[in-house]
Amino acid sequence: MDVLEGTAWVFGDHVTTDDIYPGRYLERPLEEAGRYAMAGVDEAFASRVQRGDFVVGGVNFGAGSSREAAVVALKRVGVAAVVARSFGRIFFRNAINNGLPAVMVPDTSQIRTGDRLRLDLTFRQVTILHTGVTLPILNLTGISLEILRAGGLLPFTEARLARRRP
Amino acid sequence: MTLTERILARAAGRSSVRPGEEVWASVDLAVMHDSSGPRRIGPLLDRLGGRLWDPEKVVLAIDHFWPPATLTQAEIVTLTRAWARDHELPHFFDGHGVLHNLLLEAGLVRGGMLVVGADSHTCTAGAIGAVAVGVGATELATVLATGEIWLRVPSTVLIRFEGSLPSYLAARDLAMTVLGYLGADFAIYRAVEYGGDAVATLPLDERAVLTNQAVEMGAKNGIIAPPPDAARIQGDSLDLAPTAPGDCEAVHTFRVSDLEPLVALPPRVDHVRPVRELEGLRVDRAYIGSCAGGKTTDLRLAARVLRGRRVRVPLVVTPATQGVVRECLADGTLGTLAEAGVVLQAPGCGACAGLHSGLLGPGERCVATVTRNNPGRMGHRSAEIYLASPLTVAASALTGRLTDPREVL
Repeated sequence: MDVLEGTAWVFGDHVTTDDIYPGRYLERPLEEAGRYAMAGVDEAFASRVQRGDFVVGGVNFGAGSSREAAVVALKRVGVAAVVARSFGRIFFRNAINNGLPAVMVPDTSQIRTGDRLRLDLTFRQVTILHTGVTLPILNLTGISLEILRAGGLLPFTEARLARRRP
Repeated sequence: MTLTERILARAAGRSSVRPGEEVWASVDLAVMHDSSGPRRIGPLLDRLGGRLWDPEKVVLAIDHFWPPATLTQAEIVTLTRAWARDHELPHFFDGHGVLHNLLLEAGLVRGGMLVVGADSHTCTAGAIGAVAVGVGATELATVLATGEIWLRVPSTVLIRFEGSLPSYLAARDLAMTVLGYLGADFAIYRAVEYGGDAVATLPLDERAVLTNQAVEMGAKNGIIAPPPDAARIQGDSLDLAPTAPGDCEAVHTFRVSDLEPLVALPPRVDHVRPVRELEGLRVDRAYIGSCAGGKTTDLRLAARVLRGRRVRVPLVVTPATQGVVRECLADGTLGTLAEAGVVLQAPGCGACAGLHSGLLGPGERCVATVTRNNPGRMGHRSAEIYLASPLTVAASALTGRLTDPREVL
């Protein structure tokens, strides 16, 4: 999972969790979450996105509510990674906790919807493939990287608890 | 060390911590509600053994879907109640109001605690000198199973409010001052600590507006050093004094006597302008409620504006808790609001979460004390939410137009 390639869907600055998963769907079961992915800004997104695509934001992507349905919706509809200049911190933790890479880079202004991107966690770069522009990954170190590599916080915690048992 | 660093060091069992370090910390209080709680967390906790690490340190409130408006919401409430019973939760609030306000009202959160909650406005509890951090459901499930969480130690931005607060301003105007000037992302991954003599004179429920709005600034937590006589974590010599400015990453000072009533324009909490610049803008509805804006002080300030007058557009008021109802009943505030034509509702999150109790229709413009104004927050995506203090909301309800409370006080 250290190298992923996907097609970019670019959104702007300050995309909130109400944009990613509108509050009016909160009473729906999580199994249906994919249908409402990004419904607050693009009702057609959920039907057009392809498995393996990337979502790209500007600053403060995922600001607002702690609703984990925002991350689950993106996962269920096949989004493989989220790339942004900065994240709402609860969204970031929810993403990592669900095994969805949420990658901070210094600048996303050169990425256009439809661009192919390569995300490389070993060499810690995001590359815009058709221009060759590379963007260094600024986050995902320490414990957050361990959780992501474990496939999320539940498997990570299961392993931690198993190690503790005599 | 900063106040936040001292509390995190204690929780991590260390003598000191530095900003940027990752630590494993022991949680003093884990909190959740009917939306983030049992229906989401229950199945996750079952995967981790199903047992709570310490039921005494767990708080659950039914607030989002109460009173239920649909059968689906009623099913969620029923499931939540059954889970509380099955797990013999000692701290379960069954439709008594909003989790964040109840924690402060019931004295469950105390100075020096590390509080983790499955809601973004968990940071509200920092008003009494706790480090209170919002997380998602999966994270809280692991906390319920283990009592531990990993955290990156944040640096602190200190916001000082100095001088005496004019009668036409409320804590919400102070929070909007910060958001308007510094923006909705200046505090990402940071702690925001509030200090200064203007903060010390605010009642606790108004200090809680400042810490509540920290998440809208992007912060990990908002915190205010507790008064010396405030309840604090037991059996501990933890230093809960305010942070020295020299220990902070940045310090911003505002003189409150020179500030004016503000409004945050949709769709952003940081699109902040003085009310006087927008005065005369027609509003269809007015709303007072939420963890930020349905407290005793909010209702009292609204009553001060509305006494002996009648609203021109519907003003709906959702008290945050049953305790707010009792206080405002005892001092005549509820009578004043009813006389003015206000629609009073049952305590809870009300319309702020966009689930029931007065959603906005297409194109409706509402001036409100809710937590956020992003599109769709209170109903239809094309509805417009103008965030303001309870004084400004009440003044605008009187005229049907955005109105500076100085015009009517």
